[in-house]
Amino acid sequence: MRNQARWLALLVAALVLVQGCVAASVVSVGAIAAKGVTKAAEASRPINDSEEYYVGRAVAARILGKYPLYQNPKLTAYVNEVGETVARKSSRPRTFRGYRFAVLDTPEINAFACPGGLIFITRGLVQTCATEDQLAAVLAHEVGHVANKDGVNSISQARWSQVLTAMGTEAVKQYAGVGGSLVALFEGSIDDVFKTIVVNGYSRTAEEAADKAAVATLGRAGYDPRALPQVLDKMMAKEKGTSGGIFKTHPPTSERLAKLKVEAAEAPPSQDEAGRTRRFKAMTS
Amino acid sequence: MRRSVFGQKAAGALLALGLALLLLGPGTGWGETLEVIQPNQSLYPDPDFAGAPVGAVPAGSRVQVIRQAGDWYKVDYQGIQGWIHRQAFPAPKAQSGFNLPGVLFGAPAKETTSDEVALAGKGFTPEVESGYRQKHPELNFAGVDQVESFKVNPGKLDAFIKEGGLNP
Repeated sequence: MRNQARWLALLVAALVLVQGCVAASVVSVGAIAAKGVTKAAEASRPINDSEEYYVGRAVAARILGKYPLYQNPKLTAYVNEVGETVARKSSRPRTFRGYRFAVLDTPEINAFACPGGLIFITRGLVQTCATEDQLAAVLAHEVGHVANKDGVNSISQARWSQVLTAMGTEAVKQYAGVGGSLVALFEGSIDDVFKTIVVNGYSRTAEEAADKAAVATLGRAGYDPRALPQVLDKMMAKEKGTSGGIFKTHPPTSERLAKLKVEAAEAPPSQDEAGRTRRFKAMTS
Repeated sequence: MRRSVFGQKAAGALLALGLALLLLGPGTGWGETLEVIQPNQSLYPDPDFAGAPVGAVPAGSRVQVIRQAGDWYKVDYQGIQGWIHRQAFPAPKAQSGFNLPGVLFGAPAKETTSDEVALAGKGFTPEVESGYRQKHPELNFAGVDQVESFKVNPGKLDAFIKEGGLNP
């Protein structure tokens, strides 16, 4: 009888041990997530897709604080169809929450690519385009900036290092401090990106890379890549003598245009451009 | 007599070890079901947004977690396996309220929750955006939300591409 009781106690202990081992060996989503992020924080890492998305939203909110949205649902839907057609043929067909395109209600001639895929084109630039292919060329160039992460790359390295430090375990202990410092660093990062894409413009290297990406994207989508140098020529003619607008942020040096014309000339001819131009005219008239 | 002492000691040790592991270990694990709370989520063949989605997962769906890599979870949804980004799910919940080391060794009264760890560890998050918005009420986030609603209908896009003689 005593033996049986001992064996029963042993069995109960073994069962408790097994249950304990199961609980300790499986790891909750929360625990792994927390462990994962701590590791990420320890290492210097690039900005991830969701962080890029939130930076893009804040930059877009600043742009929309400056320029109102053009309230023309038909044109907006059309610009999104053209934009999505080129985005899906780009080197980065999908972003965290996808690409979105919008028209800004200003006669200025400009376009902005916010990190994560929110892309703005001004009413003035839509009116400067003569064909759907030229509109597609502008949007493909902006998609090129998103694909190349030119916006988030303008966040200063020093600031990003501070972000990674703030994410460290020491800071985690003081939640309010982390929240506060991260908001301040977020604010600084938005300033960096906004200054680059709206005030100072990208580097010549970034512009040329976005041109190159746009030419390849247009060709893959079935648009005529020659439309890109065409629309740049048109913009230059319109903006001659002015100091603001797109050429403040997307300077088209003669060298850049010459390179672009050579690259675009190698593309095969595009089909049905006339049909696309008809629908462009119908949407923009 | 020797066997009986050994049996008692072994049972006691096993019981103590099991109880300790039970109390220290977290309560949930892989194979658990998570609810997707964000709209328009997709399953990807790899933990990357670049691939073509292998399936859509609407908000409110429940998926079975298979494994995790960085910000991505490999899940099973209605028999389809694929990768889904962690943003699809609610922020991880805080762990069990009972804290054995705290009871035994006097841990701090307020522990950092896993939500806070996730917030701090993830860098720029909705919570950080919220703090930024409070500081800058002049910014037009309502306009951004409007722009995010400009989603192209896939069927209409296919027709648009076809009509324009473009490449699908």
